[in-house]
Amino acid sequence: MSFVTVNQLTRLFDLSEPWIVRTITGQKKRILTAVDCVNFQIEKGETYALVGESGSGKSTIAKMVAGLLMPTSGSVIIDNKNFNDANLEKASMNALRRKTQMVFQSPYASLNPRWKIGNIINEPIKAFGLIKDENDQHKRVIELLEQVGLSERDIKKYPHEFSGGQRQRISIARALASEPEIIICDEPTSALDVSVQAQVLNLLKDLQKNFSLTYLFISHDLAVISTMANNIGVLKEGVLVEQATPNDLFHKPQHDYTKMLLAAAPTLQNN
Amino acid sequence: MIEPLLEIKNLSVSLKKRDNISVAVDDLSLNLYPGEILGLVGESGAGKSMTGSAILGLIESPLYISAGTISLQGRSIIEAPENIRGSQISMIFQDPLVSLNPLKTIGEQLIKTIKTHFNISKAEALDRSKKLLSDVGIDPERIEAYPHTFSGGMRQRVVIALALAPEPSVIIADEPTTALDVSVQAQILNLLKQLCTERGTSIILITHDMGVISETTDRVAVLYSGRLVEIGKTSDVLQRPQHPYTAGLVASTPNIDPSSFDKKLFQIPGAMPDIDDVPDGCAFHPRCEHARDKCQKHRPPLFDARVSCWLSEKPGGTL
Repeated sequence: MSFVTVNQLTRLFDLSEPWIVRTITGQKKRILTAVDCVNFQIEKGETYALVGESGSGKSTIAKMVAGLLMPTSGSVIIDNKNFNDANLEKASMNALRRKTQMVFQSPYASLNPRWKIGNIINEPIKAFGLIKDENDQHKRVIELLEQVGLSERDIKKYPHEFSGGQRQRISIARALASEPEIIICDEPTSALDVSVQAQVLNLLKDLQKNFSLTYLFISHDLAVISTMANNIGVLKEGVLVEQATPNDLFHKPQHDYTKMLLAAAPTLQNN
Repeated sequence: MIEPLLEIKNLSVSLKKRDNISVAVDDLSLNLYPGEILGLVGESGAGKSMTGSAILGLIESPLYISAGTISLQGRSIIEAPENIRGSQISMIFQDPLVSLNPLKTIGEQLIKTIKTHFNISKAEALDRSKKLLSDVGIDPERIEAYPHTFSGGMRQRVVIALALAPEPSVIIADEPTTALDVSVQAQILNLLKQLCTERGTSIILITHDMGVISETTDRVAVLYSGRLVEIGKTSDVLQRPQHPYTAGLVASTPNIDPSSFDKKLFQIPGAMPDIDDVPDGCAFHPRCEHARDKCQKHRPPLFDARVSCWLSEKPGGTL
């Protein structure tokens, strides 16, 4: 069995007017199918990338895999455990949450501006009770900072003192703090410049190798995905229209939508 | 030799903080020729948008233009930007969500813009608005619709229609497609290119996306830390970059290439300096693998009207 199995995952959103308005004006319910029967698997230590345009359901899937949003139907099974299993004991639920971490798109919005970097990175360690002793916690935070290319000096600084790329490194350090097995990266570099993007992508690759991490990588940028993914799923309006290895997807795209995305992506090579 | 439409000479934009003066745009010279698309590329903080604002006369205290001239068709526009701005030069902003007034229909906004610049009746302005909408690929029937009823790409088309309304000779497009999906981005870039050929409008395209530069522009200027480091024909600059920074930018741009999975992306070490902490000599030397003594002490001029790097001082001394 694969490390992550996403099975018939579906999420509906109810966009209807309130009941009373519907009754008076005779409107029907309006239901949006954001994610429609999506299936995929991720093997341990591999990267699965989801690509699609805005509104295609990428982030909704990310949230469901991270356990931040309940699926309407279907399931996400990580290491044989399911977030939405009512019978799951509290301890296994905590263990599952510890194993699953997320890196968000905007490094400007995902760090608390009033917290020092040390506290931000220490929070998962405290929350999961991984290290009890404060000195050991401090050492662990420094170790995490060094793993993402920052240093001990940064521990007392606030997020605003860092550039976008450095902030994204802090987000990654925070995600690593709970010793996760899968990290969900939701557009981790789309707010960054190309040169900084290259640094962050290389860092993610190194960490994957060192800690045998599994990534669910979400992006709208096919070029970024081609450097990161073992497998790619193309989403359109909540439906997984094509699923392939990068080689197949880029050389022999099957679905018209994939072909359109490939044609529209601006590249240096066409010049 | 064609006369440049817009000529920027030795432009400096400075920032005064108490007794400290830092320079955001440093001794920048650029020409924009009729009917061309000129790209401005660089990392955030390189001075791309600041240059755009300076051309439009939008520099506000504590920033000020400390040196240089900007002239349009031979007339200086630093002293009299109000007459020029809008009627001769238009701007398209990054975010189409915030650059339209949500309380007014797109028709009202277009008509108001047209009537500000031309002394014509409302009926004529309405006709022109409809014409503009159909030019940018929007059904003129939708003239009474509000901005929120349009998608992001459609809104950016409306913003382009607004920018075209005064019939400008120069359009400054500041990251016009950064907020859009790739497929919509391709449509908007094609629209800009098409307008450029049909109307002979010159466009300054500000972006950090090397792919967009490669597919859209005729010439490209690479900025680093407020300075021009390389300028030339887009294909030359991207295929045979002469400045190490340009080479780094090109190399760190990921390509759609399945074989790149096993390779690491090239990365330029370090980060761009703050504007109040620009190193002596060449601003790029702390990050440059080719840096020599000279690079630390003396600022390189623009050699061959192409590249500002001591490596290119002597002919044949390229990367």
